[in-house]
Amino acid sequence: MDLFDKMAGLPALHEQIVAAGQDPFGVCMDEMRHATEAIIGGRKVVLAGTNNYLGLTFDRECVDAAQDALERLGTGTTGSRIANGTYTEHRTLEKEIASFFDFGSAMVFPTGYQANLGVISAIAGPDDYILLDADCHACIYDGCRMTGATVIRFRHNSPSDLEKRLQRLDGGGGNKLIIVEGLYSMFGDIAPLAEFAEIKRKYGAYLYVDEAHSVGVFGEHGRGVAEHAGVLEDVDFIVGTFSKSLGSIGGFCASDHPKFPYLRFASRPYMFTASLSPANVASVTTALRRISSDPSLRQTLWRNAHALYDRLSDLGLTLAAPASPIIAVKIPSQDQAVMYWNKLIAAGVYVNLAIPPGTPNSTSLLRCSASAAHTPAQIERIAEAFAMVAEDMRAYEAAEAFPLRRVAEERV
Amino acid sequence: MDVADDLVLRKVCQKLQQFNVRNLELTGETDITGDLEIDSVAVLDLIMEVEDEYGISFPMNLLSEIRTVGDLVRAIHKQAGAQ
Repeated sequence: MDLFDKMAGLPALHEQIVAAGQDPFGVCMDEMRHATEAIIGGRKVVLAGTNNYLGLTFDRECVDAAQDALERLGTGTTGSRIANGTYTEHRTLEKEIASFFDFGSAMVFPTGYQANLGVISAIAGPDDYILLDADCHACIYDGCRMTGATVIRFRHNSPSDLEKRLQRLDGGGGNKLIIVEGLYSMFGDIAPLAEFAEIKRKYGAYLYVDEAHSVGVFGEHGRGVAEHAGVLEDVDFIVGTFSKSLGSIGGFCASDHPKFPYLRFASRPYMFTASLSPANVASVTTALRRISSDPSLRQTLWRNAHALYDRLSDLGLTLAAPASPIIAVKIPSQDQAVMYWNKLIAAGVYVNLAIPPGTPNSTSLLRCSASAAHTPAQIERIAEAFAMVAEDMRAYEAAEAFPLRRVAEERV
Repeated sequence: MDVADDLVLRKVCQKLQQFNVRNLELTGETDITGDLEIDSVAVLDLIMEVEDEYGISFPMNLLSEIRTVGDLVRAIHKQAGAQ
């Protein structure tokens, strides 16, 4: 008996994946050239799998703000928000997030993961019901496990399935909390939030929306899919991250509930951890101001997203959802996905390899994310690399269709 | 409860058949993830199908107690009785 017996299957799985070439889950950026280019293994690689939607990680204003905060406030806070870790800058950022969504208040957390853990674990308890979309992120599931609430999954993006499950509840007096995401990270599909909002009103439930991938991307003002769907007012809790469009690390929750600020004394993942570093807070505050005041970044992002989507679609590849900055190419098998991932990185293009159980419906994906920082030449390079993949897939399918020929070829 | 001749057992085994690539004989003792090597997310999707079949919802909190086909069958009876 060994503590690690429970991971017994992992070494073989890892070896199988690595046998095809590089380790897709152990890529190391030797050097970051800018938001969409790195040196990996001594070679220049276009980054097409970063979540750096607006390309703000190297934005001059954001970097300057972080450097200034570093000089003025030091490298870290060395304390929790409820002890010595609250600086004026943390409060300013929280106020600006609240006003960005036009909500009463907001709280920031050291990561997006902790934001979900911290809010869900504090607002739901053993007498409550949580209804969550089946494709919600791991940190939402983990947050739910900390509540003791009755947690029920409903079919992904299905308002009718949600309603059916609400009707099946035993009629106990607990609160009902519906948790969904705005833009889903793997397939790049968006939630039908107008319909979820209607159900929320009908059943007197609370609506919690994780806009990690959609803040700065969707909506007239970049507030996310809820703004895009015109139902921001129906959302009780908006959660998001600073590690995507906002180009840093951290997470937040904004709410209009008058008692929301009490979460500061009820949320363990908020209280028992050190606060965000001053440099992070400064770059995020600057990035949020950019998003609020300058729609051009968002427009460039969408132009690039459509350009890449159209190119991949024209190659005959199967894309998992309509166009969005997350463009996921479905691959028939895990082995093929690993093989093509290696082909892409060899061609100087990094994308995310996503395989079960990290993906819904046992699907294997080569997941791209478009960025406002991608140049037309980079998009061309990504498309050219995928053209090789498309050609290989056709050859593979042909070989599958004529197995005897494949056997004959293998023997030669 | 003896689940050997149960209709629910038969229905569950029918649904599990799609994952039974090694063609094992499915019984109440079959370990769903261990014997059939179904990944954890696929199990959750299978559970959803079962929920729809019987018009019930399994709280996630109960799922950790379900390991074998028999556990699932007993849980369906219990949940159907309660709802």
